[in-house]
Amino acid sequence: MKKFLSLTFISLCAVLPLMAQGDSLDFLRSTGKIYSVVIVIAVIFIGITILLYRLDRKLTKLENQIKNEQ
Amino acid sequence: MNGFWWKIGGALIFLYVLIGGLVIPIKPGITSVTPSNAKSGEDITFNVVGYNTHFQAATKVRAWLKLDSIHAISATEIRKITENEAKFTFSIPANFPVKEAVQPLSLIVDNDVDGVFVQPNAIFATVADSSAISGEAWKSSGIGQFSVVEGIKFPYRNILNETIRNTFFHIALWFAMFILLIVGVYHAVRFLNTGDMIHDIKSASFNKIGIMYGVFGLITGSVWAKFTWDTFWTSDVKLNMTAIAMLIYLAYLVLRGSSSDHDRRAKLSASYSIFAFVALIPLVFIIPRMTDSLHPGNGGNPALGGEDLDNTLRLFFYPSIIALALLGTWMSQLLIRYEKLKEKVLLKNQ
Repeated sequence: MKKFLSLTFISLCAVLPLMAQGDSLDFLRSTGKIYSVVIVIAVIFIGITILLYRLDRKLTKLENQIKNEQ
Repeated sequence: MNGFWWKIGGALIFLYVLIGGLVIPIKPGITSVTPSNAKSGEDITFNVVGYNTHFQAATKVRAWLKLDSIHAISATEIRKITENEAKFTFSIPANFPVKEAVQPLSLIVDNDVDGVFVQPNAIFATVADSSAISGEAWKSSGIGQFSVVEGIKFPYRNILNETIRNTFFHIALWFAMFILLIVGVYHAVRFLNTGDMIHDIKSASFNKIGIMYGVFGLITGSVWAKFTWDTFWTSDVKLNMTAIAMLIYLAYLVLRGSSSDHDRRAKLSASYSIFAFVALIPLVFIIPRMTDSLHPGNGGNPALGGEDLDNTLRLFFYPSIIALALLGTWMSQLLIRYEKLKEKVLLKNQ
């Protein structure tokens, strides 16, 4: 649960500042709104990276556990 | 190394979708026509702004104002300003073939580089004398014989523009989520039948990655909505129902995290995941179809057909579903292997 909440939160944090009102929005809307596609791909990439990071940490913990027993 | 090919396959297919989906251009279209209204019997020049058009590179540019299937007028003068801007002059006839005071006209532009493209209801013509019906001036426009252009291009839709490429990611994510959740519920049923803990682990892992895809789907949909509907969240049925479905699935994660007794946790979560999947189908497929929705395919209009998903989009949309499902299975497999290992360590400690 915590994982998915943090995942949502971090992804939103990455995206929201890019989409703030004003000049940056005009920039994002240029070239036929192609930057929405860029953000969508970035969200998927960030999400998968978070999953890998968390899995990495869990595996490290397990590895240490096994090492301590030996 | 068991079954490594499908992992590489998933990654390669996704690479194909990424490259093809981003590189292939959008068809030309018309973004704005000013002024947007005209009176009968006047000569009027419209400033037309296009997207991805090549007015200057084209040798022969033609334009028509079309009233209906047999009535149209052709432009009397065409002046190219830039590749994406041109001025079309029309002399609107005094009499219209229909008895209406205001008549919408579609602008059709054709050139040998871009082919033909249309802006429906581009201009509203006000008819001064709507009782005098005559279609004579509308019949000799020579409309037809459009240029044929080779090569694949994605369809141009107003407002959507380049964001139509999100079809390959946002929509494919939901389809892939469904595949993963179906596998999850299959293993939940298998667990209840056999009582084998391996099915519990598999069911949980596939459900977790499925839920992750669902969360991605909500976020990417929100981003897309900001660009096209100008808001992160609307009260659209499909959005709210999907959010409810995702909350039901998030409760599944809470349920799994709350119990420390392995057998009880496995039985509870297997039954709950069947319930959650059964709830997902009416929430996502049935209820949004019964009312109006901003999503294509709801409120009566068919999705995955016509201009919403034409054959060029299909070329990348279906492979994207397969790729995301394969990558999701890969991630689930990693979770399964981790959980199995953890189980082994726990058993050894006891």
